[in-house]
Amino acid sequence: MAATTVSTKEIKLLDTTVEYYVGGTGSTSLVFLHGAGGNSGWQSYHDQLAQLYTVYVPSQAGFNGTERPDWVYTITDMAHFNLQLISALNLQNYILMGSSMGGWIASEMASMDDSKIKSLILIDAAGIRPETGEIAEIFMCSAQTRLKQRFYDPEQVENYQNYKRDLTPEEIFTEHSNREMASRLCWKPYLHNWSLPFYLKKISIPTLIIWGDNDAIIPVECGTLFQKSIAGSKLEIIKNCGHSPAIEKPVEFMTAVNNFLANS
Amino acid sequence: MTEVFWFSEQPYGHVTDDDIDGYESGRMHFPNTMFDPIKAHQLYSNYHDQYVMADQVGFDGIMTNEHHSSYWCMKPSVNIDAACIAKVTKNVKIAMLGNVIAIQDPVKMAEEIAMLDCISGGRIISGFVRGTAVETLHSGISPTENRARFEEAHDLIIKCWTTPGPFRWEGRYWPHRMVNPWVVPIQRDPHPQVWFPGTGSPESVIWAAERQYPYMNLGSLLDLTKQLKDIYFETANKVGYQPGPEHFGYLMKVFCADTEERAQEIGRKYLWTEKHRNRGPAEFNDPPGYQSREALKIKMSRPVIGTGTMGKSMTYEELQNAYNIVVGTPETVIEKLRHIKRELDPGYVLIYGNEGNMAHEDVMRSIELIGTKVIPAVKNF
Repeated sequence: MAATTVSTKEIKLLDTTVEYYVGGTGSTSLVFLHGAGGNSGWQSYHDQLAQLYTVYVPSQAGFNGTERPDWVYTITDMAHFNLQLISALNLQNYILMGSSMGGWIASEMASMDDSKIKSLILIDAAGIRPETGEIAEIFMCSAQTRLKQRFYDPEQVENYQNYKRDLTPEEIFTEHSNREMASRLCWKPYLHNWSLPFYLKKISIPTLIIWGDNDAIIPVECGTLFQKSIAGSKLEIIKNCGHSPAIEKPVEFMTAVNNFLANS
Repeated sequence: MTEVFWFSEQPYGHVTDDDIDGYESGRMHFPNTMFDPIKAHQLYSNYHDQYVMADQVGFDGIMTNEHHSSYWCMKPSVNIDAACIAKVTKNVKIAMLGNVIAIQDPVKMAEEIAMLDCISGGRIISGFVRGTAVETLHSGISPTENRARFEEAHDLIIKCWTTPGPFRWEGRYWPHRMVNPWVVPIQRDPHPQVWFPGTGSPESVIWAAERQYPYMNLGSLLDLTKQLKDIYFETANKVGYQPGPEHFGYLMKVFCADTEERAQEIGRKYLWTEKHRNRGPAEFNDPPGYQSREALKIKMSRPVIGTGTMGKSMTYEELQNAYNIVVGTPETVIEKLRHIKRELDPGYVLIYGNEGNMAHEDVMRSIELIGTKVIPAVKNF
């Protein structure tokens, strides 16, 4: 498989500058929304997706050192922001994919307006309050605890050492800013929106929900709740996997995504 | 001018290092099953007796404060403690340092402080604080909102005290269409004095200086405190007023006994919380967003100069040599305070007078010695 040529671009929008990676030449666009940890750059699963699609990976407003627009306080605000970003990028009939907090944003965007979205993929998404379990604490805990929560089995993670290395001062600042922005958006109610299950009933596009069966941050129960709220959606549970299936179980993840997109 | 204030954190002194060692942090993780309300009843009673003594022996004021989820401070409400002080004392000023207004309802704060001013006959000094991050975390509020909430709460409280009601307040965090608190403060020129404390943040010093609010440094080392005082004075000059000792106070740990040996032995208890007070993940002490990104950049670009003594661990002897802990007979203490007066010239000497499980009788004797021997000397520096 040939590596994709990736560009880093910027677009000015609503009092801030959005930075994004774009790669691939497919006629269909795919937009990937990152989670609360910020934009970790062009990943190998982006590269695989870029074999078929033109993949956009924007840094969410306020993340990765970008300026937070004054009016963005909630994930709902962020969803409005992203819909305007999609318009500014002039994307039509695109695939919307979001992981964790990014899945929450994607689901609110699709609830607001799914007329330009071809299909929706939510990966271990935040946004719905579990009925029996709890969403794990990710803010009031140490970096070691956060890392431990993320993966089911570190041995399944390529370059796991990279997640444990000491950060440069620039990376520390970016990481701190990302967590500041995530705190601002997700502190209360904690990583969910009481109304989201009701918003979701408006979604009428093909939707795939992917979840690690051992997600220690957002319990798999939330995947079932998403499926119940989105008519016709499909839930794919990946075995022996934590909160980040695209990293921990890349083959199973890509198979689930490709099968879904081929049939939708 | 120099005014001397008594201060006690009202520690729950029954806790030992062994009790806390196994927990991830000394505050949020340390379980409240370790708290015995019956023991606390006795401690509160002792602390109130100490207030009575401080009032009788000539302290100018009593300072009090508030913390949450902290074994070393049994005061989750500074206003309740101020009410106790108002009723058990006759003369002292009551400096509340202060209300954590970012996490409270500001209109209720304005009402309660006004009520305290009426009860105490106009003896209230109303400090406003951002609190440690734990105060905000404990209240369930995002640390990213603390500063903006603090500023709005401050403005609304001052408006409650200075603008006849009813009025309307279209704030971001506390929108009110009708504000009309019945109880207003006795002190109306223009309102009870506001103090603002800090440890190491220049932003806080500038905020206070711009409003002519006296700045109380809570026990930072002398060199850092001098830098912060200079920032206050520079800001005051820019704003256009002449700052003096009346704009600056300094908190230090001071304990007096009849002999040096006794004072040295008891004073060692000031190290009671050293191991655990700020222990725990940074996410508790300084979580992302509690400081602005600008402040974070400044912090990352400068060497660690510490807040208080955070950042470096110091021995009992080193802390005494640095004048952070001042213990001894009245004669020794007077000489050390003379040095601090020369170095910093604080208008307010705030005496952190007990800690941990210091015996009540020892603390009462210390208050008596400070009141009868040290304070008269300090007044003549």
